[in-house]
This record gives sequence, C-alpha cells and structure tokens, in this order.
Amino acid sequence: MTRKQKRMSVVLAGLAFLGAAAGLTFYALGQKASYFYMPADLATASVPPGQRIRLGGLVEKGTIVRGQGATVAFSVTDKQKSVKVTYTGILPDLFREEQGVITEGAFGPDGVFVADSVLAKHDERYMPKEVADGLKAKGVWQESTN
Amino acid sequence: MVETGHFALVLAFALSLVQMLVPLVGARTGNQRLMAVGGPVTVTGFALTALSFAALASAYAGSDFSVASVWENSHSLQPMIYKITGTWGNHEGSMLLWVLILTFFGALVAVLGNNLPATLKANVLAVQGMIGAAFFLFILATSNPFIRLNPAPIEGRDLNPILQDLGLAIHPPMLYLGYVGFSICFSFSVAALIEGRIDASWARWVRPWTLVAWMFLTGGIAMGSYWAYYELGWGGFWFWDPVENASFMPWLAGTALLHSAIVMEKRSALKIWTLLLAILTFSLSLLGTFLVRSGVLTSVHAFATDPARGVFILCILTLFIGGSLALFALRASRLTVGGLFHPISREGALVLNNLFLTTATATVLVGTLYPLALEALTGGKISVGAPFFDLTFGPLMLPLLAIVPFGPLLAWKRGDVIAASQRLMAAFAAAIAAMLVTGLFIDGASVFAALGVGLAVWLVGGALTDLAVKSGFGSVAPAVMLRRLVGLPRSVFGTALAHLGLGLTLLGIVGTLCFGTEKILSMRPGETVELSGHTLRFEGLSPQKGPNFTEDRGRFLLMGADGNADGAITSAKRFYPVRQTVTTESGIRTIGLSQLYLSLGDENNDGSVVVRLWWKPLVTLIWGGGLVMMAGAAVSLLDRRLRVGAPAKRRTPAAALANPT
Amino acid sequence: MLFWVIAAILTLGASLAVLLPLTGGMKGASPAGDHDLEVYRDQLSELDRDMARGLIQPGEAEEARAEIGRRILRLGAAAQPGAAMPKPARSARWVASVAVLAVPLLSWGLYGMLGSPDLPSQPLAERLAKNPADSSVDELVARAEAHLAANPSDGKGWDVLAPIYLRLQRFPDAVTAYRNAIRLDGDSAVRQSGLGEAIASAAGGIVSADAQKAFEAALKLDPANAKANFYLAMGLAQEGKKADAVAAWQKMLGQLAPDSPWRSAVQQALGEAGEPAVADAAPAKGPGAQQVEAAQQMSPQDRRAMIETMVAGLDDKLKQNPRDEEGWMRLIRSYVVLGKADQARDALGRAVAAFGADSEQAKKFTAFAASLGVTATE
Repeated sequence: MTRKQKRMSVVLAGLAFLGAAAGLTFYALGQKASYFYMPADLATASVPPGQRIRLGGLVEKGTIVRGQGATVAFSVTDKQKSVKVTYTGILPDLFREEQGVITEGAFGPDGVFVADSVLAKHDERYMPKEVADGLKAKGVWQESTN
Repeated sequence: MVETGHFALVLAFALSLVQMLVPLVGARTGNQRLMAVGGPVTVTGFALTALSFAALASAYAGSDFSVASVWENSHSLQPMIYKITGTWGNHEGSMLLWVLILTFFGALVAVLGNNLPATLKANVLAVQGMIGAAFFLFILATSNPFIRLNPAPIEGRDLNPILQDLGLAIHPPMLYLGYVGFSICFSFSVAALIEGRIDASWARWVRPWTLVAWMFLTGGIAMGSYWAYYELGWGGFWFWDPVENASFMPWLAGTALLHSAIVMEKRSALKIWTLLLAILTFSLSLLGTFLVRSGVLTSVHAFATDPARGVFILCILTLFIGGSLALFALRASRLTVGGLFHPISREGALVLNNLFLTTATATVLVGTLYPLALEALTGGKISVGAPFFDLTFGPLMLPLLAIVPFGPLLAWKRGDVIAASQRLMAAFAAAIAAMLVTGLFIDGASVFAALGVGLAVWLVGGALTDLAVKSGFGSVAPAVMLRRLVGLPRSVFGTALAHLGLGLTLLGIVGTLCFGTEKILSMRPGETVELSGHTLRFEGLSPQKGPNFTEDRGRFLLMGADGNADGAITSAKRFYPVRQTVTTESGIRTIGLSQLYLSLGDENNDGSVVVRLWWKPLVTLIWGGGLVMMAGAAVSLLDRRLRVGAPAKRRTPAAALANPT
Repeated sequence: MLFWVIAAILTLGASLAVLLPLTGGMKGASPAGDHDLEVYRDQLSELDRDMARGLIQPGEAEEARAEIGRRILRLGAAAQPGAAMPKPARSARWVASVAVLAVPLLSWGLYGMLGSPDLPSQPLAERLAKNPADSSVDELVARAEAHLAANPSDGKGWDVLAPIYLRLQRFPDAVTAYRNAIRLDGDSAVRQSGLGEAIASAAGGIVSADAQKAFEAALKLDPANAKANFYLAMGLAQEGKKADAVAAWQKMLGQLAPDSPWRSAVQQALGEAGEPAVADAAPAKGPGAQQVEAAQQMSPQDRRAMIETMVAGLDDKLKQNPRDEEGWMRLIRSYVVLGKADQARDALGRAVAAFGADSEQAKKFTAFAASLGVTATE
C-alpha cells in the first residue's frame, strides 16, 4: 500500500466507526426512548402492553390505596381521564394527593400501569415540567403567582 | 459592606471590558504598553470580584435579609455552615462564584505567564476578558445578587432543604473549577487562532490547565454523584439525568483533550485537533451552564428560572461557540501540521482514545439534546434514560477500556503491540482469573458481571504493569528498581494512578450493579430483616428536633453473628417547616468497601413503616476511584516538565535543566 | 459617606491598574521564537533524562533528537532578523485614554443605575439588638420567633403569634403556629377556628377539607363559635349548596349578639348569595368579609390606610365605652401590628386606667402587651 492508500484506509475505517456509532445511536433513540403521555393522550395513542412509557398527571384525590407491604395503588389523572397505577417501593417525599407526578413503566395485560419509578416534583415551586405543560395545554391548571 | 460588594462587581465588569479590548489591540499593533495592561487589570479584576463575593458571603453569614438573594435562600435558624454554603446554593450566588473562579484563573495566567510570548499572553487575557465581560453583564442584567429590599424582611425563606448538606459545600465549587478551568484552554486556542500560529510553549500551558480543570471536574462529578446517592434516598449513583450529562460531556471531551495535548506536546502532532477539542470542551461547559441555568431542564439544579436568563445565556453560548468555531474555520488552515506517526504507536493509541471519547461525547450529547429538539420541533415529549445510554455509551466504553493498558506501554512514533502484549501477560492472566472466579464462585453472577470484573482487574493490572515495566521490574535488582521507580517522571505516576482509578471505579460500578441486593418491606418495631448476610433489627421511630427542621428518626441495629448488636444505622424523614418540605435522610453503614444503605418510607396505618434496604458491594470504589483519578492528575501537575519555557531566565533554570544532577 | 470613600478608593485602584502599565517603561520582550527555542531545548534535556532512566530505547531517542533538531532549524529559518516592534501609533494613545476614562465613568454610571448606596447592611443580629420600641412589627414578630425557636414548647408564645401571622397574611406560618398552639396548649374553639381560617386563607379563601375539619372541631368545643359557623357556611356556599349556606347564615344572624363583629360579615355574605339579610342591622364593629377581601386586593398603602381608619374607629368607640376588655386588647394589638409602639403604650395605659391599676383586667392587659413587646413603663 502506498502512503496515500494507507491514509485513505485509516480515514475510511474512522468513518465506518462513526457511521456505526451514529446508526447505533439512532437505533437506540427509536427503541429505548420512552414517550411521555398524559392519561387523556392514551385514548388516541395506542400503547401496547409492555412498552415503556412515562405517564404524568396529578395524583387523583382519594385513590391512594396502600396494599400489602410496600405496594401502593393510585390513579393518575389529568382531570379528563384517569389511569390506575401500581407501584412497589418508596414513594418520593413530595408524593401527595392532587400533586403532579411522573411515573415510568409499562401497562400490564389487565390495563393497569405498573410503574417502576415515581417522580414527584422536587421543589415547592414547580411541577414536573412535562406535567405542568400538559395540564396548562388542557386548561386545567394555572401557574400560581407566587 | 453589601453595597461595597455591589460596587466592586460593577467595577470588575468595567475592568473586564478594558481587559478584553486593550491587550487585543496591543497584540494587533505590537504595542508593548497596551499589551502590558492585561496583567494588572486581570489581577485587579480578580481582587474586586473576590471582594464582591466576600461581601455577599458575609451578607449570607449575617442573615442580612435586606439583600433579596439572602432573603430568598437563607434563614436565620440555619446552621452557620449552610448559611455560608447557601451563598452559592442559588442562581445569583453561583454565577458570582463562576466569575470569581474565572477571574481567579485569569489572574493566575497573568501572574504565572511571564514566560509566555507577550502577544500570546495578551491575546489569552483578552479572550478571558471577553468571557468575563459576557458573564459579568449577564449577572448585572439578569441575576444581580445585590438587589436590595427596603424595608428588609425579618426572616428568610430558607435554602431548599435538599441543598442543606455538606455535599453542596463542595460539589458546585469543584464543578465550576472544572468548567471554568477549561476556559483557559479555550482562551489559549482562540488566542492561537487570532495569532495564526501555535507556539511550542502552547501545549506546555494547555496541558497543565487541562489537568487542573479535569481534576476538579472529576472531583465535582464524583462528589455530585455521591451527594445524589445519599441525599436523594434512591440509592442510585448515576441517573443519566440531563443535568448530570451536562457535566459529564465536558469531562469526556476534557479527557480526550488531556490525551491529545500529550501528543501535541511530545510530538507537535494533532495540533489542529487539540485546538478544536479545547474549543469544544469549553463549549460543552458553556452548554452545561446553559442547560442548567436556563430552565430548559428541570431538576434539583434548576433554581428559580427566568426566560430572560435563558435567552441571555443562549446568546453568550452562540457568541462564543459560534465565534470560536468560525474563527477556527477561517484560521485552522494557516496552522502548520506536526509530526507523522505510524498507526500502531503511542500517538495511534491516543488517537483511538480520542476517537472513542469524542464519539461517546457525541452520543451523550444526542441523548441529552434530542428530547429538547424533538419537543421544540414537534411538541412530542420523550425521555431518554439509562436504557439508551446502556446501549450506546456502553459499547463505546468497553473497547476503549480494553485498550487503555496498551497505550502507555507503546513507544512514540512506532510501537510494538507484540512486546506490549507480552508485558501485559500478568495483567491479562489476573483479569482472566478474576473473570473465572467471579463466574464460577459467585452465585448469580452473569457473564456480563464476570466480564466487568475482568475488565476492571485488567485496568488495575495494566496500570501496575506500566509502573513495573518503567521501573525495570524483573530486569534489575530490587534496590535499583525502587530507586528507578522513585525517580520516574511524575507524569508517569499520574497516568498510572488515573488508569488505576478508572479500574477501581469500574469495579465499584460492576460490583454495585451486578451483585447488589435490594429489599422493600414494611417493618414493625422489633422485627428483623436479613439482607445478603446482614441482619438488621428495627428499633422504632423517634421524633427529633434539628435547628430548622423536625424529624422522625428510625433506628436500626445491625446484628452481629453472635446475636449482639454491632452498631446502629439511622434513617430519618425530615420536615422543614419554612418550605413545607419533607426530605429523607438515608442511613448508610460502610462495611469494608461495601455499604448497607436504607431509607425510610411512609408510615402505614397499622404502625409499620415501609423500609427500603440495599446491600451495595464495593460501592465506595466508585467515588474512591474518582479520588484516585484526581490524585493522578495532581501528581501529573507536579511534573517538572510543565514549569519550563522562559527565555528571559535562560541562564539559570535552563542551564540547571540541561545538566540534571 | 464611608461607602463613597471606599468606592472612590476602589475606583482609583482600578484606574491605576490600567494607567500604570500604560505609562511604564517599555520592557524589551523577547520574540516568540526565543520561547519556542527554550521549549525545544527542554525537550532535548528531557530526552536525555528519559534515556538515562532507560525509559526509551537509544534508537528512538536518536530519532526524537533528530526531529527536535529539525524543529529548531525550522525556527531559525523563520525568525528573520529585523522584525522589530512597530512604533506605538497614535491610535494606541487613543485606545489608552478611552480605557483609562472608561473605568471610572462606566462603573459610577452603572452603579448609579443599579445600586442602593443609601441602604446600609442590616445583619439580623444587629437589627434584633435594637430597642424594641423602635422596632417594626416584623421585627417584633421576628423576636417572638427567635424566642420560640429557643423555646419551641412555649404554647402561649405560639398562641399569641398565630393571630398576628394571620393579620400579616403569613397564612402558612399562621397554620403552623395554630397547630403548635393546639399541640402544646390543647384544643380550644378559638384556636381551632383560627387554624381553620388560616388554612382557608392560605388556600385563597377556599374552605378545604382540612379547614372544615378544624372548624368542626371548634364547633364541638363551642357550638356558638361565630368564625367557625361563618366559614362552614362559606364552605357550603363554595360547594354549591347555596340554600344550606344561606340557612346557616340566617341562623347565625338570629343567634349573634347585637354588637357582634360578625354580623356585618354575615350580612355581606348573604347579600352576595343573593338573599336579603334579616332586617336587623346592628352597627358592626369588626371588619366584614368583603372589607377583608378588599383589603387583600389593595395596595399596601391603601390597606394600611384602611386598617388605620378601622383602628381609629375602635379607639373612638373605646373612649366612649371604656369597659370593653376585648376591645382594648384588640386595640393594643392593632397598634403593635401597625408599628405604632407609642400609641400601643398609650392604649395600654388607658386600658389599665379604665379598669383600675389593681384590677384583674389590668394585669391581663399588661401581660398581653408584654407578650407583644409593649411595656407600660415610661
């Protein structure tokens, strides 16, 4: 191989590497990114059981049921529709009725959303951003002034 | 005092404008006097910023609620330590800390840079002045920490409780030292582009700054990770949260820069690439600042946000990243390319390292920005989390880690892989043995876990091999070997320590992820639970009172093998009345390198309490490895090579160096 | 004054940092090539050191030495003699003068726009050490808070502070204070109804389930508690049960004492509910719900003016009818809340005089006033 050919092959190998990395990245984005839904969105979007999504909304008043051990059931609502959620684990400190939450997990075959993580707002000052945007879009929530 | 601080801040802004213009004009026209302004102005600017910061800190310490920022983020009952750390526990104060560090580093260049060519020094200080001016303006226009309230409220609104922690005292300053440290590398690069030439002393200056920045960034990330681990009570050490990624991207790019700067210094090769990397690394630091400060992302780090700030930082971002890249496009062709090398050589290995690291940076960047871009374009909301990064970042890291031990053993210019492999036989054997032991003797170990342990041992073994080979292990007498080991250049130790630390961190991650166990259950007082061979007895909850909170403290006794208590672990639910916030204080007990971690959940109606327990084997190595990496960088900084290059002092130090004793 | 002196000194220092290098002598700077040469020499010596340690092979070292040598040669070729520094141009002098002038002008101008030079630092410890008579209500409250922070189980302290919080519209604090008072000093109708009011006010006037619970607890202790009755009816109205609410309010009007401050509030509420009040319009003493609501929407100055008018009215009434124990206490507290320490002291004096210095009431007044930071001395 001449020097030029050698350099070309190095460059080509580098490009092939970058191409593979880019391909992998976009494949992973398609497969592993989880979409965010509010309960009312689920009526129009069909989410098959087992697909990971993030479900956000408010914890519906009076729906928190503590089951055996550390399993908790509650409903997440956007004031239009609500979805039943079960979760085993420790709820975040700021998990309360009527507060915004984001749960991540998948629907079981029975239509109950099985969450493996529940995030509440971190701070008194704001809701999880996705939830706030969604609720604002639906006109059920206004930002408090203070 | 407060107003003195405010005035000093304004004055520092005025000086930063002088700093950005006068030396630049001087360098363009070759005017010595104008160039000489850079140094004193930079140092004075730092002194004024420090005065300003001290004024703000004293307002925080004295609970001066006539200062709006103090009122919003402090409380008179907070312990003194958190009053002081609260100075930078909020947006305004943290930006002031940012410019304080920026001006400090600028002043260091001004003071230590007497051995730099005059025009290079003037241009570097001018670019530092530009960054400083932009951020001073940002602070004064949108985030002034010295806004006053009259009449002054009598009590503050308290610091966000989860920030009331010692971790906060250390994490942001370290992170900023890292972020801002890269600004020096950036300024050197832009200065070289302005001049159209890269001096030989360029790499000698950029490398130590990269080391300093990288060292602090490593520490900052490790500290932040540990803080999230024990403070958020989820038991995780890394969440691939966009804000974490924002600090991780400059780290990856900075690691690449650290390695390419070696090639540049030793071999004058990869000049243009190194320049570009330096620009990219600081751009990623700015991007991190933008993502965290603008409110584009919401997380614990996003303090009260304000769209005006986001727009302002976006302008700064566009100006600096766009400007420097445009300058690069214009000027890069004027720079001379350096020495050639064979693909299989130390340089080749470092290029491979750079290829992997920059690609990894790019995947993290895509994963972080894609959701934002998608939302801006289509309104669709997605989250990109651990599964994405496991699939993309993981496959890039594995081969990179596998080739790390080869790098230091290859010769410059033309290397011998076979010889290097032979030297690494012992490390390889150790790695295989570790894999076999893990796979065969530890219950539930997956192939993946065995591979991970093997890789970690391979890295540690490789680092030790490097030291052994360079000190002549096996070919000389032990006494000679010891003398040679002590006499090795510091940078060799630095490399070995950094790679060793990387191996330890990997071992910690693999240990925790693959062999950790977890239990969630409801416990009544007196009940016991067993987890990975440790028995814990729940003693009960007791209410306690802290200075600005009340808590329900759960006490657990760790039972020894003989049935007697072997120490207690406490975890608590704290209530901070001022912010009406509950936090969980996790209980951690370190046993060897591993930790028993537990956190309290809600109380059930029947009096039992939800408890979550984790056994985290080798978890402390994750951060311990980070500390070892930091130590590596610190040792490397002590290398004598980095202190040379002043023609003015030619007689003395150069003569001494030419004839080393 | 001191501040301006410091500012002037800082400006002087900053200007000097610009000026001195400009007027200083020209140092002969070495051309950049010399710096490069220095680095290459050091690289050569490093090579020797590495070879002495056996870190690199002699062959490699030779090659590297040749490479560095080539760089040094290239440097010599590039550095042509006669590349002297150009003479300082006129434009440079211009830049220098602008820079020197910019520092004081820009900083004083910008600070003039942004700063508050007349506002001294106010560390909390200093403010709290001041004479209580000069303190504002906020500072008195802070003092009480500091006292409670040190003695958090002082139920009486919480009890005193709670209504003050309510008046200062610090509703969440009022909730906490009432809860603490109830926890430490036990239930009472006044505390429970105060708690309810605080919770409701914190929620912008909505009678939530928590507030309702508190009001109901108050009624259990004192079925005639006007505040609790009033708010519970309000809660009914908010739920849409207007008829029930109106019935409850009508019933209240029948039971309230003719001079009860709640009378006008009830009438107001009935008016809003679209029901005429029972024609029994006794003069009202306390502020009605609408007045309070109006006060919440007013600017701070207007609100203060309104409160002052109401306080003046109360003062007049007490001058005519001085044997109103509760009225005096309300007056003293109002003056304290308004920051009028002298008038509070004056009112205390008149209250004590009205009942006689040795009376049970006088002692109560003195203790009450002391808890607010007002003493009868002077």
